[in-house]
Amino acid sequence: MTAIQQAALAKPERVEPREGMLDSPFVLKLAAGAALLIAWEAVVHAFAPAYVARPSGIARVFAEVVSDRRFLAAAWATLSAVVEGLLISIALGTAAGIAMGRVGTVERVLRYYVNSLFATPMVAILPLLTLWFGYNADARLATVVFAAFFSIAINACDGARSVPLEYLEVARSFRARPRYTLFDVVLPASLPYLLAGVRLAAGRALVGAVVAEFFISIPGLGYFILFNSRTFKHNEAFVAVIVLVAVGVGFEALVGWLTRRYLPWARRDEAAR
Amino acid sequence: MLTSDARIEVSGAGRRFGALEVFRDVNLAVGEREVLAIIGPSGCGKTTLLRCMHGLIPLSGGEIVIEGSRVAGPREGVAMVFQHFGLFPWKTVFHNVAYGLKLAGATQAEIRDKVPRFISLVGLAGFENYYPYQISGGMQQRCGLARALSVEPRVLLMDEPFGAVDAQTREILQFELLRIWEMRPTTMVFVTHSIEEAVLMGDRIVVLKGRPATVHEIVTVDLPRPRTRATLATPRFAGLREHVWNTLMADARRAELEIVR
Repeated sequence: MTAIQQAALAKPERVEPREGMLDSPFVLKLAAGAALLIAWEAVVHAFAPAYVARPSGIARVFAEVVSDRRFLAAAWATLSAVVEGLLISIALGTAAGIAMGRVGTVERVLRYYVNSLFATPMVAILPLLTLWFGYNADARLATVVFAAFFSIAINACDGARSVPLEYLEVARSFRARPRYTLFDVVLPASLPYLLAGVRLAAGRALVGAVVAEFFISIPGLGYFILFNSRTFKHNEAFVAVIVLVAVGVGFEALVGWLTRRYLPWARRDEAAR
Repeated sequence: MLTSDARIEVSGAGRRFGALEVFRDVNLAVGEREVLAIIGPSGCGKTTLLRCMHGLIPLSGGEIVIEGSRVAGPREGVAMVFQHFGLFPWKTVFHNVAYGLKLAGATQAEIRDKVPRFISLVGLAGFENYYPYQISGGMQQRCGLARALSVEPRVLLMDEPFGAVDAQTREILQFELLRIWEMRPTTMVFVTHSIEEAVLMGDRIVVLKGRPATVHEIVTVDLPRPRTRATLATPRFAGLREHVWNTLMADARRAELEIVR
């Protein structure tokens, strides 16, 4: 590396204040988590009946539950529905959102309805979806898509609309065809917004799948939780909750990692805003 | 004066945005190996005129002819360097430079051959895989310059290309551009608000002034080429700078005084 390159890369070193053990965010988080678990255990031990979930109980049944074939089947059913619904929503939501963001007529026609449906609680529409699709996995998939689609469309629309005019001017200057510009300029420029939409949509999709299972009573983590709660197996039910949390957190981390790895410029962009 | 072999001819050009008339009745001719600098107070429409020459926006009246045909939109053989650089943040230096070539229909082999040559021409060798956010403003504009040069344009339109970089970088880039222009002289229209830059770059300087702006004066710059840092120290350079300054500032002073009163 030449001296100029090094100079270009050199960043001012941050001066960190001296830290004691309690200033370390990791130690703090761990301590808070431990305190919470101890408090939970103590309260349940002191006041609740034996079947109520508690940390020690969950730890006892955890390995057994997660290796149980029915549990794995339930997890697979829920998570594959979430992934499938998300993929459908990303494809449709990106297309609809970018059309709204770039074509004024499409925006004027759709914006009001997209915003209204985004604000509609998916629980309210679930009974209707079961009437249309039946009490089956299709209704769950429809719920997931309904939950995820609108936040992706709205974000893709905002992203497509805020493509800096400079980029479009450069594209015109070099005589790019509009369709080429759509994929080469508008889509990548919208990606940071789109990713924010996908993050939001993932959380909503998980909620949609679980609520649909509560309502429709088809195999899945939601139904697993419902069934075990009703049969006083709260510890077992809680294992499913933990798995759902882990999936949500894991997805966040995955999107963050993909952004850092493949869109290093986008992070920089966000920081500048 | 150069109409016989003019590459760009502007006749009776005017542009208005609604009620606002930006410039009117602009008549210019730019020769094949000529650098025409356009200078004027901010808001006088020099950038608008340049965009009209490129066909990014249409004229309201008159016409602009490049290489014998009327400008209706961006065309092959004409490239622009933007004040805002206009680099795509998701493309590396290499792919930003390759952008124009790709759109011009170059093959992968041509791109692999040409892009590195233009990257080193502008002094960016070694930075091919950097993203724009990782390099300085001056380097970003070098990249923008390489992108425009790589399509080997016969007309180069410069829209205040060094307006967004710091003073030292600006000087370095000015002499870099002069060096590159000597290597491959083309028709160049250079919009700037810096008097020194106009004198240093231009064979002639068009002074736009007034509301709506018109061509107030065309100054011939008879400084010999190649121009270097030594050119800045010559009495002729100082004389021309004074002359352009006086033309440009005469009314500005009066306008300022009017505001005070």
